[in-house]
Amino acid sequence: MTKPPILLVDDEPDILFSLRGLLRLEFDLLTAESGSDALAILAQQPVHVILTDQRMPQMTGAQLLEQVQAKYPDVVRIMLTGYADIKAVIDAVNRGHIHRYLAKPIDPDDLLEILREACTLYQREVSRKELLLEMREYLSRTREVLSPAADGHAEVHSLVERAGEMLNRIHSLDTSK
Amino acid sequence: MKVLIADDDAVSRTLLQRYLEKWGYEVTAADGGQEAWGLYQQNPYPVVISDWMMPDLDGPELVRRIRSGQWQIYTFIILLSARSEKEDVVTGMEAGADDFITKPFDQEELRVRIRAGERVVTLERSLAEQNRMLRETQAALVQSEKMASLGRLASGMAHEINNPITSVLNNLAVLHRDTEGVLAILDVYRQGITALEQCAPELACEARRLEKEKDLAFFYNNLGKITDGMRKGLMRIRNIVHNLADFAHLDEAERKEVDINAALASVAQILQHDLSAKDLRLDADFQPLPMLWGQPSKLNQVFLNLLVNAIQACEPQGTISLRTRAEDGWVIVEIEDNGVGIAVADLPHIFEPFFTTKPVGEGTGLGLAVSYGIVRDHGGLIAASSEPGKGSTFCVRLPVAGSRPNEKHS
Repeated sequence: MTKPPILLVDDEPDILFSLRGLLRLEFDLLTAESGSDALAILAQQPVHVILTDQRMPQMTGAQLLEQVQAKYPDVVRIMLTGYADIKAVIDAVNRGHIHRYLAKPIDPDDLLEILREACTLYQREVSRKELLLEMREYLSRTREVLSPAADGHAEVHSLVERAGEMLNRIHSLDTSK
Repeated sequence: MKVLIADDDAVSRTLLQRYLEKWGYEVTAADGGQEAWGLYQQNPYPVVISDWMMPDLDGPELVRRIRSGQWQIYTFIILLSARSEKEDVVTGMEAGADDFITKPFDQEELRVRIRAGERVVTLERSLAEQNRMLRETQAALVQSEKMASLGRLASGMAHEINNPITSVLNNLAVLHRDTEGVLAILDVYRQGITALEQCAPELACEARRLEKEKDLAFFYNNLGKITDGMRKGLMRIRNIVHNLADFAHLDEAERKEVDINAALASVAQILQHDLSAKDLRLDADFQPLPMLWGQPSKLNQVFLNLLVNAIQACEPQGTISLRTRAEDGWVIVEIEDNGVGIAVADLPHIFEPFFTTKPVGEGTGLGLAVSYGIVRDHGGLIAASSEPGKGSTFCVRLPVAGSRPNEKHS
């Protein structure tokens, strides 16, 4: 099984190195030392989870995750933070930019567990979307098959239309939040 | 205003007293310098009018005695004398008199001269009061500034220390896990030692020698203990930093209504074991209190710290009193013990981080500093008074309304 790709962002190389050592066996790791580097990586390859420090020069973690949310909404966003950044974190959580925040220093076992959960969350979200897409295709194929025999299948037609409406409703629920 | 008259001549004394009382002064009359001195020592007067010539103790001597003492107030002294030579005036003023009136005195002159004295006394009083207030304000300012800069220091330090702790903690976890991996690999190789002996006996021999020399068995058995000890040490550092940050700034723990009496009761409940272990008596006097707006867990922490300290300060069979009352929009909590007390030199430092009188390793010296920070962030005050050998009282004042934040969501 392939390892899920995770992007780690921290301006301190020591922290990145220690995270790489800790996480390398279970995840496919990408690292960036700044927000702009992180965005460049995201533009090039798929990432399931992004874990970023809050306090970085130029772009803060919260600013980075705000952009990630806008451009790559499926990526699960986690912020690592020191004590003095609580206000920025609360702000980011309230505005929906991050899924979770972790206070430094985090217990390594907890971090592993949280990242596993995040990957599962990503996987579930993506699978759900794929499934929806599949159902949509299935429905349109059903419509095609039904359309030549126009008469006598009014009831079947309306059932298919209702299924289509339900799919639309699920879709609008997803996009409204 | 109170005036003390000293005159051995009954006629002149009565006359003086009558005038002064007519002008609204509160007069005490003494029939000589000795009596006046006795009265003054019991209770210093703001204005003294003394005759020069008195048989037992003359005017200039009375003046000298008054001036040589340390009194709470300034006394305006007028000397009365029939002698009006210039050198007499100089002698009298040099002894410390403020003014000089010749006998027989003119009523109007006496009146305005006493008025002038009264002005000086009033001025001096307000100056002293202002001076006292200034000193108090300055002391409070110095104290709060000191705590604030310690807070900033602690907060910055906490932040800076967390980064290296993070990477050390991660690296330690890597080291532990991967060393276990290496040992597992080594195990596999060691199982092949008999095969190795046959095809490369010198290699097998070297392996055996090294295993012994490096005491591999110890490492096998103790890897967990080694890394666990390091981990625990790091966690302790993390907790200290955490407490320091608590002192510096409250994290955004939830604020809600707090019943201080209930909080104290629950803290006392938690410490029941410690209380009975030392056979201490706990006297609780809880008055009805309004609900406070605050962080229950943080306030519990304050009361826990204070009560633990009180318990530790007490000798076996000692007594601890918990008192609460409401007063002018404040909730007041007093925790008093009859224990060892706090040394006078230590008292000004007890709220500073890392100040501890406990043996090294037994206290971090953060309990009271954290409590100070929590109470301050609730808009309250915490103060201690103590008498070595008799006990200490900690008083926490929390505002009922002042702490209710209106920027809950900024």
